[in-house]
Amino acid sequence: MNRRAIALAFGLAAFVAAIAVLAGLLEFGLAQPVIVVVGLAAIGIGLRALFAREPPRNVGTPDPERSTDVPVPGETLRESLGAFRSVETSYAVTSRRTVEGLRAAAIAVCSRFGGDDEERARERVESGEWTDDDVAAAFLSPSLERPSGSVRDRIAAVAGRGSRCDDGVRRAVAAIARVGDGESDGSLPRYDPDEGRPVRDRGTRTATDPIDGTQRRRERATNYWHGIGVVALLAVGVGVVAEAPAVVLAGVVGVGYAGFSRAFEPPELELSIDRELSDDEPAPGDEIDVTVTIINERDGFVPDLRIVDGVPAGMAVTEGSSRLGTALRPGESVRLEYAVTVGRGSHEFDPVLAVVGDLSRSTEREYLVGAETTVVCEPELRPVAAPVPLRPAGATVSGRLRTEEAGAGTTFHSVRQYRRGDPLARVDWNRRARTGELATLQFHEERSARVVVLVDARRDAYLAPDSETTHAVNRSVAAAGRIAASLLAEGDTVGLAGLGAIDRNRDEEPCWLAPAAGRHHEVRLAELLASHPQFSTIPPTNGGRWLWQLRGLRRRLATGTQVVLLTPLCDGVSEDIARRLDSRGYPVTIVSPDPTADGTAGERLARVARTVRMFDLRRAGIPVVDWPADESIDTVFARRAASAGDRR
Amino acid sequence: MSEITRRPAVRSSVAAGAVVLVAVLAAGNQSASALGFGAVGGLVFAVGLATGRHRAVDVGALALFLGVVAGGLEATAVEPTIVATVATVVAWDLAHGAIALGDQLGREADTRRLEAIRASSSLLVGLLSGTVGYAVYVFGGSGQPVAAVVLLLVAAVLIVVGFGGGRSGSTRRRRTRH
Repeated sequence: MNRRAIALAFGLAAFVAAIAVLAGLLEFGLAQPVIVVVGLAAIGIGLRALFAREPPRNVGTPDPERSTDVPVPGETLRESLGAFRSVETSYAVTSRRTVEGLRAAAIAVCSRFGGDDEERARERVESGEWTDDDVAAAFLSPSLERPSGSVRDRIAAVAGRGSRCDDGVRRAVAAIARVGDGESDGSLPRYDPDEGRPVRDRGTRTATDPIDGTQRRRERATNYWHGIGVVALLAVGVGVVAEAPAVVLAGVVGVGYAGFSRAFEPPELELSIDRELSDDEPAPGDEIDVTVTIINERDGFVPDLRIVDGVPAGMAVTEGSSRLGTALRPGESVRLEYAVTVGRGSHEFDPVLAVVGDLSRSTEREYLVGAETTVVCEPELRPVAAPVPLRPAGATVSGRLRTEEAGAGTTFHSVRQYRRGDPLARVDWNRRARTGELATLQFHEERSARVVVLVDARRDAYLAPDSETTHAVNRSVAAAGRIAASLLAEGDTVGLAGLGAIDRNRDEEPCWLAPAAGRHHEVRLAELLASHPQFSTIPPTNGGRWLWQLRGLRRRLATGTQVVLLTPLCDGVSEDIARRLDSRGYPVTIVSPDPTADGTAGERLARVARTVRMFDLRRAGIPVVDWPADESIDTVFARRAASAGDRR
Repeated sequence: MSEITRRPAVRSSVAAGAVVLVAVLAAGNQSASALGFGAVGGLVFAVGLATGRHRAVDVGALALFLGVVAGGLEATAVEPTIVATVATVVAWDLAHGAIALGDQLGREADTRRLEAIRASSSLLVGLLSGTVGYAVYVFGGSGQPVAAVVLLLVAAVLIVVGFGGGRSGSTRRRRTRH
């Protein structure tokens, strides 16, 4: 039996009772205890109705104002430990896997930064010599006993502030980080075995596909007035029983609202939306004003209209609000004004989300209104202040890259015996005068470099230390533009390539621009960096086939082409890419934006893993430029040039 | 970047607070128990509104309404009870509206017009049904047993609600799923 039938039954009963009272067949005279009992029962039913009542359900709105969230490297400890995984640890039982993984990490850092070879490092970890922290040493070595802690430690353990195991993990990670980084601040990282990023319940887009006109998405009852009928009925009942007209009238008011909640239906919506921007082609970081004009095209009053503009992920609202709650008469228009800062890339506004309610708020309808606007924001191609650190290997055309080869040039290389045909200008006449021998001076040959800037934009490269910082791919792409500009200014030929997800359904190709020079080429490069789908500021959903893309790239690279690889180096694949290219004879230089954080155990271990990776690459002869999150690329290159001596 | 302040809309909240005060005063005028219930309910209501909790607002409004009913049981004049009831329902409506608006649009958005429309429509419905009830009481109640008149009125309203419009069907279908 549903509520409506109950209401009907009660209504008929009340009607019959009223007739009976009027005819004098029924007397309403009740004793005080009865009234109290009825009142209590009424309260009980009222409370039950209250708890059965759910809070009004409104349509949730997404947060298009927010930029996209990207993960932090090492969100979980297990993920970070995966970087140190070897054959022996991958088959361990789950409970031992953490300890085995940490031991592998300890051996890895000791064999790199502790000055030991692998075998010796293993022994030192076994004997606990590798660290000063007894707890950490005992945690990783089966042969050592955990030292009995101080009274304070025991109290803390009894009080339940972290188990011994958690404490061991934290101390072990801190000890490994001390060996790995060399910077010791002594603080322990946070560790929670069930850690993980809290899931954001709101998306950042109103809709993923473009829409034409106005499209209805869904309708739902909000249950806004749900329960008021029951409460009103109770009041009427209590009032009647107690013969209190005031209470009955209170109930009647409630019944009036119950009728109101059912009387209306949301109007059909037909909006036309027009969006104007103060600047269609801004530079990255510029603030532009957005003006949205919304017109009610139907000849009906819209009493309740809530609007969320589909701000693209690469823009962040800085002033005003991209949301509006209003009512619109037929043909009336309303303006919504706000300011956004624009990041690099090609940004398309998503459809506008419009939620329409009826006058009583009992039903809500969700509409999407298409209003496409595209903003293309090209990265600035300003040369870096310091020289780009390239490998000393050049192409055959003379240029300004100083190579290790001896020949004509300006910087002294060596002296060798005179051979017939050597130019007279390079004969060492001083030596001839002193000893009578003929010798020829040799200089570093200066050639031009052929460089391909390769941006690692795989899904695993979309990483940032926190939600405020620009993510690694955005930093890489910005740096790629500036590196290319510097090299072009130096007279080198520069190309561009990308590794990352592409949508084959849309016939997208991996980014490739063959090395060349000239103004036209520079413009093409800026366009690609701004709008190629691989360099999107939004993390892709699919992984992308990097190996296949790398093979394609290798086929296109001419022999001797240098590769400047921009990658955060936070997974094994990025290291693999560098090694594969380098071993095929393309001298690789890595510029690595650092996206690591050090708050939790997993994050700190991910940072250590990255340090180990950089060490291994440098040992293999591949230069790595580490680019911390808080520094500009100019500072980093200037420091590099100062420490390495000017190579160019 | 600017986070959205997803807290109850300011104007509606202030209005709800003011209206709830009116309800407490109008009900509390009648008897001490009404004032007690009303004050407690008003307090819970205000806390619920400030923290954006739908359920606390419900509990507060219900306690306040119990106060109104308690006052009405002892009252001789019906007017303060009608005013207090309308004020309670309007405050409750404004509070839920403020919380929902805060959640959907945030405090930064311009929602003046929407809030004004909501508040006035809610007030209008209350005044209208209060006036109709009051008119029936004044003109129809003379000489006749009050209970009979009231029963007739309730019967009429309930039968209308019972036959209802077709569109409440979707609401019911969803409720039965729980």
